[in-house]
Amino acid sequence: MKPFLGPLEHGRIPALQQTRVSAFLISAHGALTRQLGVAIPASLHHGWQVELHSQYCREMEILSLLGRATSWVPDPALGFRIWQWELAWLPRPVTGVEDRSQGVLIDLAAFGHALHTVIRPAALLPEGFPDEDPFALAMRRIEFESGRLMQAQILFLKGPQLAPVRDVVASAVETRHAQVRELWQNLLYSMEIDSSSRHTLMPAYQARTQPVPAAATQPGVAVREP
Amino acid sequence: MPWLDCNSRRIHYELAGPPNGPAYVLVNGLTQYVRLWQPFRDALVAKGFQVVSYDMLGQGQSDKPSLFIHQDDQVAVLGRLIETLGDRPIFVAGISFGGVVALRYAIDHGDKITGLVPMSSFAEIPAQLFMLGNALRTGLILGGTSFLQDLLFPMNFSSDWLDSMRHLIDLARHRGWLANDVYALQNLMESFLEFEPLTDQLSAIRAPTMILTGEYDFLTPRPLQESLRAHIPDSALVIIPRAYHAFTLEKPGLTAYLATRFAEEVMADRWRGKGSIWVGPENVGGELTPFPEGFDHMRAIPVQTSKPDRASQQKKATAS
Repeated sequence: MKPFLGPLEHGRIPALQQTRVSAFLISAHGALTRQLGVAIPASLHHGWQVELHSQYCREMEILSLLGRATSWVPDPALGFRIWQWELAWLPRPVTGVEDRSQGVLIDLAAFGHALHTVIRPAALLPEGFPDEDPFALAMRRIEFESGRLMQAQILFLKGPQLAPVRDVVASAVETRHAQVRELWQNLLYSMEIDSSSRHTLMPAYQARTQPVPAAATQPGVAVREP
Repeated sequence: MPWLDCNSRRIHYELAGPPNGPAYVLVNGLTQYVRLWQPFRDALVAKGFQVVSYDMLGQGQSDKPSLFIHQDDQVAVLGRLIETLGDRPIFVAGISFGGVVALRYAIDHGDKITGLVPMSSFAEIPAQLFMLGNALRTGLILGGTSFLQDLLFPMNFSSDWLDSMRHLIDLARHRGWLANDVYALQNLMESFLEFEPLTDQLSAIRAPTMILTGEYDFLTPRPLQESLRAHIPDSALVIIPRAYHAFTLEKPGLTAYLATRFAEEVMADRWRGKGSIWVGPENVGGELTPFPEGFDHMRAIPVQTSKPDRASQQKKATAS
């Protein structure tokens, strides 16, 4: 098991790995986009709904980006996986709250929170991988945007309106986290990647005598907005 | 790789050094993870301590609660870890955020530890720290972990150190970015939203306490350390020359030397805190110097402490 995608083929992430990662992201972000499209009312009444609308638009950008930045190849193993993923993303309204619509919203927010926090696609890129590669830049942009997009879910899930059912909310989010994490890890294992092994890398402070990779590009720098 | 279960959460920790020796438990700062203690840890192990370092909830390889992290849970984890060490001298050292967790533990369970070392820590959040904390949180939300690190590097380290590490800074930022998740960092920072000052409870800390502060630490400046010194009964304040906020990383050898020396004095019953104020040595093995009498340790310029005010004396004399 290794912490990063690769080994590189002609200086690029192998097309099969690109295909698998992007297929997962399109499946999950696509499901979130569809659910957001249904959940956002025609006229907005709360601040967090504005955030959700913004997220809806950003999610569509992510889908478009993934479709174009990925080097796609046929992958027979994806058929079963996509079916498994799509089933997992189906809405599961949370029980134990005032009404069903609130339960649907909590589940939607929990799913979005899990998607934007558990999945760190840019953390899979080998250290020092060039910024100008479209797939790499797409991964960095998606992860960077996720840090902002999750704020909509945090605003809603931690907001005062859900304070009385905080335990129910926390439990729903933990459940979605576990689900997304398991599916994502399974996909990574299929490529012999264990993302948790990144924690065993030596801190740079102790690397004075070790060879240093070419300038490790920083997610958030290349795509940092003005 | 050892794991600890605490309230259904999995905590990653590491042990180094002789299993029966006196123990030092190290509590991380905000963006820290276990491996960053390594040079500090190795220096303590060389002196015969068993060192326990761990990732707090929300850090490194430990579980990362998705929405809420309560500081009470962090204190419970530290307590659970200390329980596993059995009956022997146990010292706790925490830096910054970790110092707060260590202080809270010592307030409630001071009898279970032999000594306490809060480093760059605080017991209250005055306006300056509150606004800095908010700005850092906003930076994290808008710019991600990399931007937070951009802000923290110049706050935490000296220019000399940053210059000497210039060729490694990109790698350091990348490794820090890999190890930290935005949502978990945000949860850790937001655990301070409900923070109540600990100042009034500090007098409950009975353990000998050495408060370490960097001469140039402007993130948690000296008034915060002074508050600890003034309220913790058996404490002494040691100012580390030319140090900023993260001196366990910039000066691990010197900090470990001070921690070792403190523990040895406590175990030999030679430690006398008495609210004293010291200037630490520049190098490992150097002596501590009492802060010059008659000068104000709270000032950045050598201002003499106020003697009986001449104007008020004159007023009294006139009145009589």
